[in-house]
Amino acid sequence: MKQIDEAEIIGRVLGGDREAFAVLVDAYKGPVFSLALRMTGSIQDADDLTQESFLRAFQFLGRFRAGERFFPWLYTVSLNVIRNHLRKAKALPEETVGNEVPDATDPRGDAANGREKGRRLQGYLLRLSVPVREVLVLRFYEGLGFEDIAAVTGDSLSSAKMKVYRGLEKIRVMMEEDGFADDETRS
Amino acid sequence: MDPVKDRELEKNIEALDGKGFSTETCEPESHWRKFDAIARMMCEEPAPEPPEDLGERVMARIRAHQPSLWKVFGEALLRPREVSFHPLNALRAPVSGQECSFYFIMVGVFYAILGVILMVGLQRLGASLVAPGWVRWQPQIALVTAGCMSAIGLYLLKDGKLALRMARVGTLVYLGFALLNGIFASLEWDIPVSAALSLLSTLVGVPTGFFLIRAIQNCGKRYA
Repeated sequence: MKQIDEAEIIGRVLGGDREAFAVLVDAYKGPVFSLALRMTGSIQDADDLTQESFLRAFQFLGRFRAGERFFPWLYTVSLNVIRNHLRKAKALPEETVGNEVPDATDPRGDAANGREKGRRLQGYLLRLSVPVREVLVLRFYEGLGFEDIAAVTGDSLSSAKMKVYRGLEKIRVMMEEDGFADDETRS
Repeated sequence: MDPVKDRELEKNIEALDGKGFSTETCEPESHWRKFDAIARMMCEEPAPEPPEDLGERVMARIRAHQPSLWKVFGEALLRPREVSFHPLNALRAPVSGQECSFYFIMVGVFYAILGVILMVGLQRLGASLVAPGWVRWQPQIALVTAGCMSAIGLYLLKDGKLALRMARVGTLVYLGFALLNGIFASLEWDIPVSAALSLLSTLVGVPTGFFLIRAIQNCGKRYA
């Protein structure tokens, strides 16, 4: 979506046209849902958190600075909602190790293998600390650049990079302990 | 910590995007090869599809959302504004209504603090009972000035011609009153605080008034 469209829609919403917000919801519900799902590992939580994130974004839309990009701002709002949820729930990752990650079409046709890989990866992610998990999700699942990640998480550039490094290192160790590394990382 | 090593590490991490990290120079058992494989696995994971009715449920909650008055007020205050404090620029260049508003609110804050200090100070000195009428009223005068200046400042946030006209009238009244206040207070020399009040009123009030008038004039240029 072009920035100029977003600015116009935000202007309309701030002017009282609530229905205009539907355009932003449609455009970004996928990425926000994906972020929440990767962070929590639960479809139900991701669904609730996506709703909560958009509601929060709507409430705080007046604080959005004209000229900024909407997407990173929405990610910041969503990430705060997710962090609060994880803090409150004190989620125990081991109990939810990726069991609920939904099936998705595997473009290579090897669906069972793809699903298993996805489940394992999600499991490893959920065993990481929240700050490390969020930078990995933003970098590799959501495809954000480091500058955007730093802006969204509030980290410095080099801190975000170090978190990515630490996260990958931890996953590598976990994979080796599981014997998963021998199958996958050598390919 | 080795800064050269850190830079190298950050460079590698940045290049590791799960799409095209060059592993040719890495040793076969290098961690970077494994990191690249993990990053690729994550990038290749298909994005999960949200439930079909999610958007509709979000909009239903937004339609039903009724913010409390307190929240509406809080959000209005927290709305980002372009506020800058360049008093010298305000004397020369065109200023926005929001900047002008900021100056008025700051003057309001100054008089609010002054009012409280005078109120406490006069009581401690015991002057509130023995001082002549005009001096005794100084705390209240300062607090009313604070209220008026803040109200004009808030009105200026609307950044309209009418707000500017109001601000101009308010500032002229303020300037005149600052002069008169200095004169009246100085007539009551029988208590020492009146001399200080007279000086304060004139030394602060007159330059502040001229500054605000100049800022309003520069703000009005945008409507010329």
